[in-house]
Amino acid sequence: MTNRRRIALQLTALVAACGVVPLVLLAVFGLQILRRRGEGASQEALHAIAEQAAARIATYIAQQREMLRALAMAVGTQTDVERRLADVSLDAPSLGKLRLVSADSPTGARPRALKPEQIAAALRGTEVASDTYIVELSPAMDVCVPSGKRGTAVCATLDLLELQRQVQRIRVGEQGYALAFDRGGRLVAAGSGAMRAAVLSGEPVPESPLAAGLVNGTPAPARLRNGEGRDVLAGWASLTNLGWTIAVEQPAEEALRGARTALQFLGGGAAVILMASIAIGYFFARRMLAALELEERFRTAGRIAAGVTHDLGHRLTILRQIEQLAAMNDPDYLPRIRDALASEVITLRRFVTDFSDLTREAKPQDFIPIELNAFAESILANAQGYANEAKVGLEVEKAPSELWIRGDRYLLERAALNLTRNAIEASKPGAAVRLRVDRSDGQAVLAVQDQGAGIAPDRIDTLFDSFSSTKRSGVHLGMGLPNVRRIVVAHGGLISVKSKVGEGTTFRLALPANGNQSSSPSAPATMP
Amino acid sequence: MRRLLLLVSLLSCAPSQGRDSFVLTVALWGRLGQLHPINQEGEIVAVASPWVFEKLASIDATGNLRPVFATSVERVSGSRLRVSLRRESTFSDGTPVTDADVVRSLSGHHLQIQSPEHGVLLVEASEPGVSAEMQLTEANIFREVNGRFLGSGPFVVASENDGEVRLVRRRTERARVNEVRLIAYPTPRQAFQHTLKGDANMIVELEPRTIEILDGVPSLRVLREPGHTADAVMFNTRLSRAERVAIAGALNSEQVRELAYESGACTESREAHPEQPPMIPSGPALDVLSWGPFDRLAMSARRGLAERGGEVVSLPVQEVLNRVHSGQFDMIPARPLMWPPSVMVRIWHTGGPDNLTGYSNKTVDAALDAGDWAAARAAMLEDPPAALICTRERIAVVDARIKNAMLGPWELLETLPEWEVSQ
Repeated sequence: MTNRRRIALQLTALVAACGVVPLVLLAVFGLQILRRRGEGASQEALHAIAEQAAARIATYIAQQREMLRALAMAVGTQTDVERRLADVSLDAPSLGKLRLVSADSPTGARPRALKPEQIAAALRGTEVASDTYIVELSPAMDVCVPSGKRGTAVCATLDLLELQRQVQRIRVGEQGYALAFDRGGRLVAAGSGAMRAAVLSGEPVPESPLAAGLVNGTPAPARLRNGEGRDVLAGWASLTNLGWTIAVEQPAEEALRGARTALQFLGGGAAVILMASIAIGYFFARRMLAALELEERFRTAGRIAAGVTHDLGHRLTILRQIEQLAAMNDPDYLPRIRDALASEVITLRRFVTDFSDLTREAKPQDFIPIELNAFAESILANAQGYANEAKVGLEVEKAPSELWIRGDRYLLERAALNLTRNAIEASKPGAAVRLRVDRSDGQAVLAVQDQGAGIAPDRIDTLFDSFSSTKRSGVHLGMGLPNVRRIVVAHGGLISVKSKVGEGTTFRLALPANGNQSSSPSAPATMP
Repeated sequence: MRRLLLLVSLLSCAPSQGRDSFVLTVALWGRLGQLHPINQEGEIVAVASPWVFEKLASIDATGNLRPVFATSVERVSGSRLRVSLRRESTFSDGTPVTDADVVRSLSGHHLQIQSPEHGVLLVEASEPGVSAEMQLTEANIFREVNGRFLGSGPFVVASENDGEVRLVRRRTERARVNEVRLIAYPTPRQAFQHTLKGDANMIVELEPRTIEILDGVPSLRVLREPGHTADAVMFNTRLSRAERVAIAGALNSEQVRELAYESGACTESREAHPEQPPMIPSGPALDVLSWGPFDRLAMSARRGLAERGGEVVSLPVQEVLNRVHSGQFDMIPARPLMWPPSVMVRIWHTGGPDNLTGYSNKTVDAALDAGDWAAARAAMLEDPPAALICTRERIAVVDARIKNAMLGPWELLETLPEWEVSQ
């Protein structure tokens, strides 16, 4: 991955993290609230449907009993009451078989679900009704009403098939259904085909205890697992007089489909927007970086041109002076001309070497083990001549044990020699430059310490920027320290500097220590 | 590669357990009985009879004979039929079915049988009121071996006990029903309950109101076919012809049907009898005997009689039969067979075995003897033995995976061996 791409991605991620992530979090919270609201609304709707169903059922039962009372009063005192009741049941089949019950009626002629005390009460003129029970395939209820004639009552077995139909007809969405339970929690009607066997068998379903509890005042849950193990939302209503409980259930998956769809839509939308913003951000970041890089290149080229113009101009001036000396054709000047040309050749060669160093890349696959104490000794040996010329002392302070690193020996030598030469140049005659090898925090450290004039604090921050050198005497492109930092960073290390004006400067190269290795060939470095 | 091809070949040849493992479990109620070919009246296992015991003929949807074991049935003269037999049929033990097996199977069915040549029988009713055609549809072809009855049908009984009969197909066929279990439950409610629960995947002879309970049960589907019986009110023949014509017209009305049955329970259309029926002549009140499931019909009939309506007297079945045989009744609800047309011989012919009320009309007899069903019906309209009120549908519920399930056209589940199961 190129630097530009990596920086573009980092910039994009930063923008995304700062802008989109808060929005996504906000959306997640919002959607959670939406989902809860949706569930609450669904439960309220199911509850309302259950209440409506319960009201309809109560009305139907009340109508049947009212009709029975009216019929009983109309025909109960007639002499042919039995025949009239039989005839009436043709017109009102929902009343079932109507009969006149008295104290003399045989047991088989009495309503089977009414207790003897209830029948006795009915014969005394009180209207009585049984709990619901299943006859053949549908629910029924025995009711006795006063006949208007002392000691008799008109009794009917109400056929509640219509109630079963009403419950079965309730549909909520595609999969929602209603259930009706009697006082004991027995299922008496089911809109769910899978649960209808329990209506006939009387086997309890998971909702049975909840329904029975609701009649006794225990609240029923609004979300539960039904007989098929499905997660359902439920609305409940109870008919106190009849002892029935109505439950309207809808699979949560279906009930919350709207909220879930919104959740998916918004979540998907947010993801798409995030991806789009990342893509756009990445695209524009790369373009901006490319523009910046181009501008930086022009700026760098300008600085290089300025440095080259300055340094070569200086050299040209010297060469022009040598040319003028040569034009005089004075043999006395020949040694001076020869020395001056030799010096300029050396100077220009160093100039070329500096450029050459800038183009050499560190390749990790080519790194070799290097023992840092020996490496420092090698640097000392190479720089000793230059130090002697400057009348500056040069010494090495080794680490107590071997300290290995891996690296491009040539480049590391260029970096170390560059720092050493700078230190020598910054030192006054008689001063000393020290190369100190040490281990610190798992890093192998080579420090180059001088006792020179030090660096002004305002220059420290730009010290490693290209072409920032202020020496400009001789050949100084200002690429030395930037190149040192480039080399150290390419080796996974760090360079730092501490300086105090009037006391001296210490450059510190921290490189990854690499354990014990076999000795490296220590080819001598050459002083540029 | 060769091994792979061989494996694929072997897999494609091997019977697929999952594919052919469909079992049809039929929920019934009442006494199951043991499957045998002779007189299984009242035993519900008889529903499986056509799969095990073939008959010479059955009846197609148009009411005509459809050869089964016979290859053809022709009327040669009067009531004499020429029956050509299928050759190369075998019983379930692999032995061939002979002409003698067929003749022996037909004995006891009130038929005179001659065998003029190999593979051909001449068949004629041996007594009045017997339809040779109907006898061919009732007699099972069988052979008794060591107390076991062998049939030539596609299924054999694999096991049977008081509560369950298991039948398997003699030769397994792909995408067909290859195994059937008949399970008898004590009550219709239990049979229905177990069907809803999934213990059975078919139940037959349902009441129309039970169908509503199956709404929303996707694993089952409803089969409805026209019924063979009609709810009727039979007349005592001592009522005058004019009274019977008027009463039949009055009772065969939408008003009576609406009173007696739930909406949609009868197949009769509202426009069936648009003309105004004649007034019922005045006379003494007419009582209606009621029994079994006919309370509402009896009361509805009494209301239909208007001024002539007497009492509705509910009695046990045996007492009702005694009264009918002794002529001590005016009218009685019953459920006679109405289809196929040839069944009229048994019910309305003078002296017919199922002629309970002693109805007799020479014109009707002559038409029935000639096999002219239309003429017989026309004559019965002039001299009605009963008021036909409601033709009920036959209703069953079957596993929705069966594609071409149907009831009838004659015996309830006779086409089951041809039913195809979705793969």
